[in-house]
Order: sequence, then C-alpha cells, then structure tokens
Amino acid sequence: MNWTCEQTEARLSDYLDGLLQPAEQSAFNLHVNICERCAPLVAGVAHTLGGLYALEAVEPPPQLEIAILTATLGAPSWRNARRWLRSLQSPRFVYSLASVAATIVIILTASGFSFRKPKMADLRPATIYRNADKQAHLVYAHSAKFVSDLRVVYEIQTRLNENEQNPATREQTIPQDSPGKQPGRTDNTNPSAPKQQNRSDELGRNLRVLAAQFPVVSGSIGERRMP
Amino acid sequence: MEQDAQLVQQCLQGDGSAWEELVRRHTRRIFNICYRFTGNRTESQDLSQDVFLRVYRTLGSYRSAHGGFATWMTSVTRNLLIDHYRRTKRDRITDSLDDAMPMVENKESAGRRPDEQALLGELSGQVQSALTRLSPELREAVILRDLQQLEYSEIQQVLAVPEGTVKSRINRGRIELARILQQMGVRPS
Repeated sequence: MNWTCEQTEARLSDYLDGLLQPAEQSAFNLHVNICERCAPLVAGVAHTLGGLYALEAVEPPPQLEIAILTATLGAPSWRNARRWLRSLQSPRFVYSLASVAATIVIILTASGFSFRKPKMADLRPATIYRNADKQAHLVYAHSAKFVSDLRVVYEIQTRLNENEQNPATREQTIPQDSPGKQPGRTDNTNPSAPKQQNRSDELGRNLRVLAAQFPVVSGSIGERRMP
Repeated sequence: MEQDAQLVQQCLQGDGSAWEELVRRHTRRIFNICYRFTGNRTESQDLSQDVFLRVYRTLGSYRSAHGGFATWMTSVTRNLLIDHYRRTKRDRITDSLDDAMPMVENKESAGRRPDEQALLGELSGQVQSALTRLSPELREAVILRDLQQLEYSEIQQVLAVPEGTVKSRINRGRIELARILQQMGVRPS
C-alpha cells in the first residue's frame, strides 16, 4: 500500500487514536520512518497530545457555586426560607395540622365558644370549664329525654301490634262512633279508674280513636302495613 | 445521565435543592471548559455563571430524549463561549498589537496571581497558551475531545456539524496546536 504525506496528515488523529486498520497502520509506519517531513509532524502532534492529556482539571473558585445559586435562586436566607416552606407541603404535616385544627374546633364548640361573636372572655379557662359543664349537663338531659321518648314510642307500637294480632280484643277496644261524644272520649271510659294511668295507654287509646274517626287514613295505614 | 434528567424534572417542579445538586455536579466541568477556552480565571468565572443562568432560564426546553443533560449544557456553554469570543474579538486584536513574542514569557510576566503562576507550570502552561491561540472552531473541537473526553457523536451534537467535520476539526486542531507549540520553542523530547 502506497502512503502519501497528505494521507499522513489527514489520518494522523486516527493513527494516534488507534483507529487505523492493520494494513493502513503498517503503511503509515513505513512512510513516517522514511519521510523527513512527516516524522517531526507525528512526533510533534503526539507530544502535544501528551501535553493536553497532562493538563489537570482546574478547581473553580469556591465562591462560584454560591454566586450561581444566588443569581438563580436568590440569597441563601431566602433559599432556606423557601426550603422550609416547601417542607410544609408534605402530606404528613398537612394531616397533622388538620387534626390539630379539628381538635381545637371540637373543644371550642363543646365549651360553647361562639365563632360568630368571638369574645376573649370565652377563652378563659374558668369560662371554658363552666360552659363545658353546662353543655355536658344539657347533652345528658337531652339524651335522657330522647331515651324516654323512645320508650314511649316503643310501648305504643307494642300495644298496636298486640291489638292487630287479636281482632276480638280490637273490636272491644275500638269505640263506636257516637255523635254526642267529644272526640277522644270513649264509651269504655271508667271515671273511677285510678289517675295514675300509663301514659302510653292513653296515647294508644288516642291513636285508636283517631283511626276510628278517619277510616280512610287508617285504611291506608293498614294497607301499607300489610306485607 | 438518568439522574440528571430526574433532577431537571424536580427543578421544573420548583425543587430548589435539585437545582443546587445540578450546580454542584456540573460547576467544575463547565468552569474547566470556559477556562481552557479563554485561558482566564476571572472571565471563566463570569462565563460559567452566565452558562448556569441561561441553563436555569431555558431548563424547560431541555428534552432528555434528544441527548444527555451534560451534552445539552455543553452546547449552551459552547454557544456562550462563541458569543463571548465574537464580542471580545476587537479587544483581543488591539491587545495583540501590544503583545510581543514569545507568548509564554509574556504571559508569565503579565502579573498573574501566584496560584495562576503555579497552574501554568511547564508544558501544561505552554499548551494552555497555545490553545488560546487556536481558531475558536478548532479550539472547541480539541477541548471537547482531548480535555473533556467526549465521544465523536456527542461533539457532533454539541457543535451541530457532521461527524466528518468533527473528525477533521479535531485532526486539524491537534496539528495546528503542535505547530503553535513549535513556534513557541516547545519541542518534543
């Protein structure tokens, strides 16, 4: 293979990078060994390459990073503030904050604190205690009344069910319509009966009277109750 | 690098610490490219800062599918260096009229800081001086290949020229550099 000076110059980097084919490599070596022009060129470039590889990385000035960060993100104090604010966006913190807020609202509501007309006096411990005590008693009283009402309703329903299951009894118990009588009064009324009558009995009677007075309504109720 | 692309995504979502990490990872490399191109620490510092500023502003335009973040950043650096070279060309021509050969001796006696004097020791200093006298298109090719150890394909991406042109520029750059060094009196042992 013939090798020229132009080829040497053109393929010099390939030679130095070891990218020549074996045949090209041999021809290159052969030419450079006998060429007075190419030999110093190859030696000079190889030496230069050695010099380039020997160049060590230069350490940047320490203030460069700080200057870049200040120019892009702002002053260090502002960066720290932003980082802190960003940490507040974590779900855990949001859940914690929500549960604390909910607890405070529950406590304040229970203590009778008015959110519409807030007063500093309502936030005193003694006031909170007094209001909480009052609220607790009110809740207890409401609960007791509710349970009592439930018992009455249950009693009425039981009686009505008993009457439906026993038609004979119902015939006896349901008063006949009499125009001379006041609504709510029955023929079976016993004036000498003891006054400590069960309240549920009285309500039951009243309901039966109402059913007799308004048969359409009672019929519809009865139809609805039928399975 | 996969990690760089991830950090870029975090930056775009407003994560400042991801940007800090990117700055930490690339400052040294960018500063070195600038320093090898300009041969001046102060200029390199300013240019590195400009590179990061531009990268920060145009981070949204980076697409990981088009190549690595380091390559993209090198392209930004190269464009800024070329802009800087064109901007300061007139100043350099004026300066070169006052300069007398040999170059190395002048540089060493130009009142450099002691750390810069130490840096420009023997061959390394001479090679750095010779580098700054290369034409910018050959200089950037040599810096990217022989100092940054980039692959041909990466250099092709950074310079936006065909691979054949890249190879040719590297080859011519090395030969030209050897000639400049020879003119400076540096001969192979």
